[in-house]
Amino acid sequence: MTARHRAPGRVAVHLLLWGYAVVALLPLVVMVLNSLRPTSEIFTAPLGLPASPTLRSYGRVWTEASFGAYLLNSLVVTCGAVLLGTAVSALAAYPLARYDFAGNRVLGAYFLAGLMLPIRLGLVPIFYLMDSMGLIDSLLGLTLLYAASGVPFCVFVLSAFYRSLPGELDEAARLDGAGEFRIFGQIMLPLVRPALASVMLFQFVPLWHEFLYPLVLLRSDERFTIPRGLSQFFGEYTTDWSALFAGLVLATAPLFVLFVLATRQIIAGMTAGMSK
Amino acid sequence: MVQTGRLSARRAARTGAGRRYVPRWRVLAVFLLPALLLYSVFIVYPLVTALDYSFFEWRGIRQAGFAGLGNYRDLFGVYPYDQQLWRAFGHNALFFAGTMLIQNTFGLLFALLLHRYGRGKRFLQAAFTTPYLVDPLVVGYLWSLLLNPTFGPVNSLLDAAGLDSWALPWLGDTRTALPIVIVVNAWQWVGFPMLLFSAALAGIPAEYHEAARVDGASARQAFRRVTLPLLTPAIGVVSVLTFIGNFNAFGLVYAMAGSTGSPAGSTDVLGLLFYRVAFVEGGTEAIGRSSALAVLMFVFIFGVSLLAGSYFRRRERRLL
Amino acid sequence: MIKRWIAGAIGVLAVALAACAPGGGEADGDKVTLSLWSWRVEDVKAYEKILATFEKSHPKIHVEFKPFQATEYNTILATGLSGSAGPDVAQLRAYGGLQPLVEAGRLVPLDGRVEALSGFDAKLLEGAKGHKDGKIYGVPFAYQTLQVLYNKKLFGDNGIRPPATWDDMIAAAGRLKAAGITPFAVAAGPDATWTLPIVHEIFGNARYGSARFRDALLSGAKKFTDPDFTASITLLKDLEPYFPKNVVAVKIPDVQALFATGKAAMYPTGSFDLAPVLAANPSLEVGAFQVPPPPGSPVTTPVTPGWADGSFGVNAGSAHQAEALELVRWMATPEFGQLYASELKQLSAVPGVTPSDPLLAEMAKNYAANGAPYTLLVDFRYGQPNGDAVFRDEVQKMLIGQTEPKAVAESLQKGVEQWFKPGD
Repeated sequence: MTARHRAPGRVAVHLLLWGYAVVALLPLVVMVLNSLRPTSEIFTAPLGLPASPTLRSYGRVWTEASFGAYLLNSLVVTCGAVLLGTAVSALAAYPLARYDFAGNRVLGAYFLAGLMLPIRLGLVPIFYLMDSMGLIDSLLGLTLLYAASGVPFCVFVLSAFYRSLPGELDEAARLDGAGEFRIFGQIMLPLVRPALASVMLFQFVPLWHEFLYPLVLLRSDERFTIPRGLSQFFGEYTTDWSALFAGLVLATAPLFVLFVLATRQIIAGMTAGMSK
Repeated sequence: MVQTGRLSARRAARTGAGRRYVPRWRVLAVFLLPALLLYSVFIVYPLVTALDYSFFEWRGIRQAGFAGLGNYRDLFGVYPYDQQLWRAFGHNALFFAGTMLIQNTFGLLFALLLHRYGRGKRFLQAAFTTPYLVDPLVVGYLWSLLLNPTFGPVNSLLDAAGLDSWALPWLGDTRTALPIVIVVNAWQWVGFPMLLFSAALAGIPAEYHEAARVDGASARQAFRRVTLPLLTPAIGVVSVLTFIGNFNAFGLVYAMAGSTGSPAGSTDVLGLLFYRVAFVEGGTEAIGRSSALAVLMFVFIFGVSLLAGSYFRRRERRLL
Repeated sequence: MIKRWIAGAIGVLAVALAACAPGGGEADGDKVTLSLWSWRVEDVKAYEKILATFEKSHPKIHVEFKPFQATEYNTILATGLSGSAGPDVAQLRAYGGLQPLVEAGRLVPLDGRVEALSGFDAKLLEGAKGHKDGKIYGVPFAYQTLQVLYNKKLFGDNGIRPPATWDDMIAAAGRLKAAGITPFAVAAGPDATWTLPIVHEIFGNARYGSARFRDALLSGAKKFTDPDFTASITLLKDLEPYFPKNVVAVKIPDVQALFATGKAAMYPTGSFDLAPVLAANPSLEVGAFQVPPPPGSPVTTPVTPGWADGSFGVNAGSAHQAEALELVRWMATPEFGQLYASELKQLSAVPGVTPSDPLLAEMAKNYAANGAPYTLLVDFRYGQPNGDAVFRDEVQKMLIGQTEPKAVAESLQKGVEQWFKPGD
């Protein structure tokens, strides 16, 4: 069997890991606690325990700010964008990583370039582009923009994973007479599944929180995404903290579900990798 | 045995990267076109347009005359932008160095410790990654509360422990503000390198470690000779993404230090400078000058990333 | 595998597409719907009430109030005015903040179209004018005044009366500090630095010479490096012991809370802060005083600095310009002004409107009698870097001991010289 660490060392490891887990989770407890208190209480004592916990803020967020509709919009836009972006990137990264063709390196750099610029820079031209395509106040426009914004990151990470797969795999399949799309779909893609889950997770989260483009591109309340909807609680001189925290807890909850699903995928993929 | 393990890895890498398949154009097109189309229309075209903007004079949102390099000259010549530009650049460099040192080292450490961890592994992985799920603006706000010098619990704890001299104003002190932002940023992102390193560790065949052990290599030797070289691709990816992410840092710094990089600009980074020029106080010149700044950032970040990318790829091949 | 991904993606897109069918038409019968954009998300309910009054007397017009996050409003408005589905009427920033829209030609000049503007205060109209063409582009809705708010109960408990002289004020601050109360609620932390030029105005306007010094600045007769201006900066350094501890770590909600909960006795701020403070603690008894001129001041009577907050203008690309003009014309009437003042607890810019709130009425009276322009905002935002932007950064540096009043003044002068030409 494997040589185990000595006891004191193992205790230190447990302490470090579980201690850090507390540090990682504690600030989030503050967020939940503050969502259970009225704004006046948060204002005078930003960190206290709720004097009399109340779910009133949640009710307000749900009714006053039609949170249900925002949630649906956010789900449609973010899921659509992540699926589309990952799908096209999974296709594009493959030849970049494993094929030999003229322009391979240049194309790789071309995709990488999109990663380098703050998304805010494109605001004015993107507004005009969307306007010319009739995509102002449209969830489709936002979805396409978000999907495209994920492409550089996905291509970059996925091609690194495709590259790390052993060369014998596709060579053997080719000798067996398998077509390129079959090799890709049945051999390569399943092998990078953990990576797919990771890039989807890492695309999903920032898009879920993104608020600038919905602010600029969306106009009607019924199409607002969650961050756009919650921005209604940020006043010029006052902020409705209680409602904001309630909204943030509601907005973050779906991410936890997604995260649990994604890690299961990632870990399932890892164990598959280990047993082979 | 260690030698054989490394040799077979090297062979595998060579067949993977050396003699590669030459596809037909039609196959290539099916793979590449969807992504190219989507990416070119919605990202490249607007960004190239924005770069073009940097060469024009602006009257609000109306393009006036051709400005040549005028907007660039303004960034380097007009007070206080000339000073803020270099200051912000320096802070970004520190941000990157600090993040590599703290976030990525801990990410690797956690991945290694959790690799063969028993009960609670899933929970710990989830817990470490959870901060990433929260909006950076909220993370910044929460930590500002925790670190508040008057009512924040961090200083109360230090006081209670008799360490009052350690109870600093944190975000109100020019010496501690930037390090604090770096640590909080690491707190939020540590799950990212951890997951990538975990995935890479899982991909290392167990035989390599066994071979090393049979060979009588100590744990440290096995780590240096087997694990670390095989982690090189993951380290490369994490480093480049950290670099890009840090030089575009905005949300968290904005939430913790405001748009001016408080106090006294000690946390000012390029992302904040861009935000100020483009959105806050840019006035009629905003589009031209902010586009020029973005071009400079792009040239620098892209250049370094390409160099780093090819460095890691060469290293990958040499090590394997 | 990939097929499933793609199928999923297409499915989602189809749903998205269905959700994107063109929205409800603009014209409902022959009723016109106007879109009114604003950066005041906290005012939704008040505007619904105000606009209902307008719709009663204008049955053919329906107004939709659309507020956006204040920090991103400028960008949203700039793009919104230049594309489709923009506003018909929009809340406009004042002074320098208005110029990008004017120079891009996105607004309808209101000279001759809104007659009532001729009765408005000239100082406030300044904020709604194109800097180059001198035309008026908006109907001013509010102005802000600067003074010190104080907690009446704390003053009474400590035997303090609103100070008649500068020395009285310093003595009062000393007594409060000794009693464990923060004398002045001042924030200089992240995103609070914009209040530092305001604090400087409140304490130092008389010291640097008020409106007369401003005129000398604009004509080029004097510079910010003038000894009087430097002395006005030094006042902040002298007052720092009476600010909260670690003032550069203190944020705006912190000082609002300090003042609202009775932990700070005086709050040097603008009239805009009255509503938030009272919302946090409705039972708080608040008074206000003008800072007595410090020794050596060229101006020997107390001053209330102020500025125009913004205006309502008409989109040049609006399809319903006639109706939009109808709306802004109504916004220049006392009916709107009175509603605005009572619903929003703000100082209306419409002439002849008196606030119902006694404290606001006092501020309005002070401004009418001793008003002076907050010059860094009113005159030095027409180019980049903005005067107040350079100033706030330098004052923050001074408060942590990185620079001196004289150097602050020099930096400010250097900053505005990048674009400001005296006598323009």
